[in-house]
Amino acid sequence: MPISAKAFQDWLHQAAPSASTADICRISGIKRTTLAQQLVRGKVTETTVVSISRALGLSPLAALASFEQFAELASPAPPPTPAELVSQVATMDLLRVVISRSSPVQGGDGEEGGSVLPALSPAPHATSVRNWVDAVDDGELRHRVSAATGVAPQNYSAQLTANRLSPELAFATARAAGVGLTGGLVATGLITEDEAGWPPGAKQSALEALSNGELTALAGERLQALGKSLRRQEQEQAQTEKIWEHLG
Amino acid sequence: MAILQWGTLIICSVVLLLRVPDAIRGRNRMVFGILVIATLCSLLSVPGPYAAIDVALGGWNVTHLILRLLVFAAVLLIGLQVAKGLADARGYRLVAGPPGRWALAASVVAVVAAFSLMDTRGSSAGLLDIADNAGHNAVVAPFYAAAGRTYPGFVSVVLLPALVGTATSHLPRMVRAAAFLTALGAVATAISVPACFAPGAWLLAQQSVNYLAVLGYVLGLCLFWFSRLGTKGGR
Repeated sequence: MPISAKAFQDWLHQAAPSASTADICRISGIKRTTLAQQLVRGKVTETTVVSISRALGLSPLAALASFEQFAELASPAPPPTPAELVSQVATMDLLRVVISRSSPVQGGDGEEGGSVLPALSPAPHATSVRNWVDAVDDGELRHRVSAATGVAPQNYSAQLTANRLSPELAFATARAAGVGLTGGLVATGLITEDEAGWPPGAKQSALEALSNGELTALAGERLQALGKSLRRQEQEQAQTEKIWEHLG
Repeated sequence: MAILQWGTLIICSVVLLLRVPDAIRGRNRMVFGILVIATLCSLLSVPGPYAAIDVALGGWNVTHLILRLLVFAAVLLIGLQVAKGLADARGYRLVAGPPGRWALAASVVAVVAAFSLMDTRGSSAGLLDIADNAGHNAVVAPFYAAAGRTYPGFVSVVLLPALVGTATSHLPRMVRAAAFLTALGAVATAISVPACFAPGAWLLAQQSVNYLAVLGYVLGLCLFWFSRLGTKGGR
């Protein structure tokens, strides 16, 4: 259920009573044609709301919460679980942590949590959506999301593979998993960790709490998934080259 | 006005001209060759040029037989090239190996035999208006037409799984669209075999299927070419 143009106009009128559409587009960096199109179609994207609220210096979370379908965001959310936090650490950062823990040269001494962690890049990362869903999945999550939203499991999986998830689905997933409702919005990159109210350094602490064994196993899983997806890309590239070689 | 025929000829010619620069550079001349034959075939399907050429060849519609054989040549080359491009080893074996050779030989024999059984005097594009000869031609004509489409139908059915597989894969969108168009041409080609025996009143539908087959293949090939443009691996 996307944001209706009517609800959006009402919100915008409250948030910036004197600003014209042109002003709004200028300060938020949204193309005028894009916004006009969304208004004509009667559906405004969540990204638009987030961009405008950032430009106006408002909290994107509060802005989203003022719409009916995201109203639950207004109530205080439970903090992200350690698994969710770790899922938002990029695979390469995870590998850097493995190295820094195991090698004295890198400042590590092989002790758990005994080293200075390298700075982590902010979410989202290349596989953040799938990693987040895996982190909150109890095995039946996809079925529950599918039942709640009417989105077919294969369409849901296709979005995860493309590292995408519509805000509605991200929201529904968090609700079905019983975790904080902002997790999916962070994983999809709609809002930042700060904007979601995740405490600074939370990802670092969650990483530090992992034992060497847990960390290494996790890094191994991530590497394996990365290798699989790289191999698939290479295969598809080779197939395309072959088609072009003979038919292009 | 033969809109279908002229339209097909114009589209084939445009696609052919688009490929000229690549052919000069020596890139995929095989596809260029296929398009040359396809354009020639569509030229021979237009009544005016057909009549001019057939009169020069003696006026007994041998041009139509030549057209059938040219179609076989084009289809053979398309089959080999598409099977190679899509890395369809099974399809390549079926087209290039004994099954394909037998299918081609049988089709050639059948077409020539059916042609010789007909009284084909009086140039007529598509053999639509040849003398009835006491009902004899009317009986043989559908078989002649079907024989001429059997080999294209065989190759199309062979290629179809790989084409559908490519169209539904995760490859670039334009490549999938090209495979989809080509698959459409293959389906139309396969349908055109039984369509030969449709009652005379269905002539327009019959012809539409035939030209859809040509257009599917030609536009599919064009789109494969187009999908390569503007990519770093393309040049």
